[in-house]
Amino acid sequence: MTLNASTSALGLYCHVPFCASTCDFCAFYQEKPRRGDLLRYFEAMEREFALLPPDRVVDTVFWGGGTPGLLAAKDLERLGRMQLAALVQPPHEWTVEMAPSTVKPDKLAVLKDLGVTRISMGVQSFDAALLESLGRLHNPKQIYRAWEAIEQAGFAATNLDLIFAIPGQSLAQWQADIREAARLGPSHLSTYCLTFEEDTALYVKLAQGKVRIDEAREVAFYEAGWQLLDELGFTQYEISNFARPGMECVHNLNTWRMHEWIGCGPSAASQYAGERYQRPSNLDEWMRGMWTDAAPKQEQVVLNDRILLADSLVFGLRMNEGVDFAALRQRYPAAGELSQLEGLIGRLLEEQILTQAEGRLRLSPKGQLLADAVGTEILEVV
Amino acid sequence: MPDLHHTRNFCIIAHVDHGKTTLSDRILELTRTVEMRDMKEQLLDSMDLERERGITIKSHPVSMVYRARDGQDYAFNLIDTPGHVDFSYEVSRSLAACEGAMLLIDAAQGIEAQTVANAHLALEQGLEIIPVINKIDLPSADVPAIQQQLEDVLAIPAEEAVLTSAKNGLGIEDLLEAAVARVPQPRWAEVEGLRMLIFDCIYDTYKGVICYVRVFSGTVKANDSILTMSDGMKAQVKEVGKFSPAMTKQDSLQAGDVGYIVTNRRDVAEIKLGDTITLTNTPAKEMLPGYKEVSPMVFSGIYPIDTSDYNKLKAGMGKLRLNDAAFVYQSENSVALGFGFRCGFLGLLHMEIIQERIRREYDLDVISTYPSVVYFVTKTDGETIEVHNPVNLPDPAEIDHIEEPMINASIHLPSTSIGDVLALVSEKRGLCEHTETIDEKRVMLVCRLPLNEILVDFNDRLKSITHGYGSMDYEMAGYEQAKLCRLDIMVNGESVDAFSSIVHKDKAEGRGRALCKRLKEILPRQMFKIAIQASIGSQVIARETISAYRKDVTAKCYGGDISRKRKLLEKQKEGKKRMKNIGSVSIPQDAFIKILKTSDGGSS
Ligand SMILES: Nc1nc2c(ncn2[C@@H]2O[C@H](COP(=O)(O)OP(=O)(O)OP(=O)(O)O)[C@@H](O)[C@H]2O)c(=O)[nH]1
Ligand code: SF4
Ligand SMILES: [Mg+2]
Repeated sequence: MTLNASTSALGLYCHVPFCASTCDFCAFYQEKPRRGDLLRYFEAMEREFALLPPDRVVDTVFWGGGTPGLLAAKDLERLGRMQLAALVQPPHEWTVEMAPSTVKPDKLAVLKDLGVTRISMGVQSFDAALLESLGRLHNPKQIYRAWEAIEQAGFAATNLDLIFAIPGQSLAQWQADIREAARLGPSHLSTYCLTFEEDTALYVKLAQGKVRIDEAREVAFYEAGWQLLDELGFTQYEISNFARPGMECVHNLNTWRMHEWIGCGPSAASQYAGERYQRPSNLDEWMRGMWTDAAPKQEQVVLNDRILLADSLVFGLRMNEGVDFAALRQRYPAAGELSQLEGLIGRLLEEQILTQAEGRLRLSPKGQLLADAVGTEILEVV
Repeated sequence: MPDLHHTRNFCIIAHVDHGKTTLSDRILELTRTVEMRDMKEQLLDSMDLERERGITIKSHPVSMVYRARDGQDYAFNLIDTPGHVDFSYEVSRSLAACEGAMLLIDAAQGIEAQTVANAHLALEQGLEIIPVINKIDLPSADVPAIQQQLEDVLAIPAEEAVLTSAKNGLGIEDLLEAAVARVPQPRWAEVEGLRMLIFDCIYDTYKGVICYVRVFSGTVKANDSILTMSDGMKAQVKEVGKFSPAMTKQDSLQAGDVGYIVTNRRDVAEIKLGDTITLTNTPAKEMLPGYKEVSPMVFSGIYPIDTSDYNKLKAGMGKLRLNDAAFVYQSENSVALGFGFRCGFLGLLHMEIIQERIRREYDLDVISTYPSVVYFVTKTDGETIEVHNPVNLPDPAEIDHIEEPMINASIHLPSTSIGDVLALVSEKRGLCEHTETIDEKRVMLVCRLPLNEILVDFNDRLKSITHGYGSMDYEMAGYEQAKLCRLDIMVNGESVDAFSSIVHKDKAEGRGRALCKRLKEILPRQMFKIAIQASIGSQVIARETISAYRKDVTAKCYGGDISRKRKLLEKQKEGKKRMKNIGSVSIPQDAFIKILKTSDGGSS
């Protein structure tokens, strides 16, 4: 499955900013749902959908959060119908994120009916104690019950999210989580190394010295995970994403390939019509903004060929398909002087952080673990 | 007409931290020069750097009026001076603008090295000294002992001392009465023609060069045509004023006044501190005594991190030099660091302050190289050269011998720490020549030491082993031959000239090992393995390896994360901008500073 880089696909991201409680590792914008807020949220979303370009086909949709699955069946229905009314045609791929505790057959039926193609569930781990330590709101039993319902509803694609290198987790426990996830038979798995983001409860524990980051341990978890997933038939297509053949998440691929996407909802980011921007992260501010003539844009960046070329590299290299450097130069002819970049690429090839084959540059496995360092160096020279 | 009978010019001098600036606060309050609501602690320490570090770096003049007990008003010009040894040139320049000096002594610490040094400076310039025993509020204050020290060490009669607590405001009025009674009225006022001494200078973006002056005779006002006597350069006066303590415009300055003048000269390089200004039409015959040139003792390279900042750095140095006559610089270039400047300082604190001022006042990121003293190298062909920069040391085969600068140090310390201090002196290749007893608790050691050895951490270590009670003053004491060699540091096989230093042969190995180890701690791990080596000539004497880091990756990265992620990477990149790339290795700016603080093997 490859997509021609020159035909720009358009994605739609909807942010549902509600969660039942805040997970220890969460840095997303989310609030506790209150009925009044929900109603005003829908009204504002409707206005935002109305801003979608009337003449462009939206290829993919992604509902993330927060916890979209937290919405009641009728609310999911309402949001979905509003969205479909604003689209030229139904999307090819439509993903909805759900937390195990929120998955209910009636909700799934509504989603199926709306045309949702893909359910992504944040399992994180199958180990009760580890789930506890993440402050999650579900237990293993809820995971199994939710999975059963999803299977029965019969979605074309399914994803499970796993988290690894959790404080107290052993390598064997991590492998057991992968095996268990694979056994359930999803078409896609995402595995995330636990990160310590500022403003999260976990970060506070880190700062207090209650947990610590152990690089060698994280590396071991990454490598063991990659190997096992490969053995189990999940092909890596991005640093944290694995899929059965042909079951990659197209929405995300398009994002990393620097196509366009429009984000709706508080804190949602867009890359559209030559600029990048974000909606206000605060529910009230965003809602008020949606009733003004000019929808509020924050952190606005006007894009140019140089930025896009750099980002195509930074994010493209995170994918196993890598990047076709020559093609990128053609796609972004006004990127300017790139001799320093070429020097950097040469050095990274020499150090076997990058590899080159059939005209494509890719990160080696060792390089994948250094993707941010490589990204920083790229931004330094472009 | 100036009322000389009612004018008193004096400065406050002391060892560091004995309370000069705090005492100035009380004087400002008592004379109501500064409104109570505008008062803050150590008000005259107006530079950010002074406030942060709690030390005075520059002399600060201020004019005020005091109504004395005799019912008459007196014009006081006070100059608060720094106490740290590195800034004694500031003190001596301020003394030349005064007739009297208040010599503060901390009632608990007693006489220390700079107390003696500054008292001598004041006496050399013929100033009247008013001894002040300050901090008498402290429980550990011992006034009789200090009075005894005054007599024994400085031959000043004990009963002359005024007792104060700058903290509690005790004795301040008595002190001001002593100033009225004992500070002589302004000298040399009868000399014909305008004579004023430039004792300091600053560069102001709006006004240009501002000279701090003491008028000895005559009158100066705006529009006067003046000339500087050392070079005959003419200029037009644009503004005159006094310090209150902010610059306040006046119609004129007269004999006895301390104030400032702004002229139409804008070139920073042209003004010489210590010069005499007179009127073009009716010039004075003779110049004022002027200043001794000071020669810098410590040299170090200062380089812009971003090579395109070279010109900005050059302009900044010009302006700093104007404000700090003890600082000298000339351009040089380094293999590792590119184009920059070789700079001379009076000491290590001076060096640190200049670097910090460049960073702040001119918004420049700079790095500095390992400090060095001036060596005399006699080559086998008989030629003798001066070496300020380790890089210029000739090949060992071409060297017949090297001489290094020596100092005579007077170290004041509690008698209980004498053993530890002697051990420190000998570790630093020094010899104790004699010991003097100050009183039953304190002694003074007179030592001969290589200057090179006291550069970096001598003072810190002295302070720590004497629990803060030790202090040191020193003077240059000629050159001596020594077994010296250059120690180079290589990073991934490339020699980093900025890390090179000249060390004693017996210490090279220990120092090399300590430097490698320290670098290993300081340098951030990178994507590649880094080898660090110390060598003398081609011989490697120490090595360390920094392993490559293995993981620097964010797991999650979706559409919404792209801007966030980019910002994160940009932040990392900004961090790296402050680094210097040597070959493939990025060396952070602070590595160059931290490496300076690395002591020899012994203490690690
Ligand atoms: N207890 C007590 N503390 C004092 C007195 N005078 C000054 N201090 C304290 O001593 C410290 C140093 O005071 P400064 O006025 O900055 O000393 P200084 O002599 O100007 O210092 P430098 O300019 O750096 O040489 C401060 O913490 C003051 O609060 C005093 O009379 N009594
Ligand atoms: S459910 Fe998701 S968005 Fe909500 S707090 Fe947990 S991690 Fe954050
Ligand atoms: Mg002071």
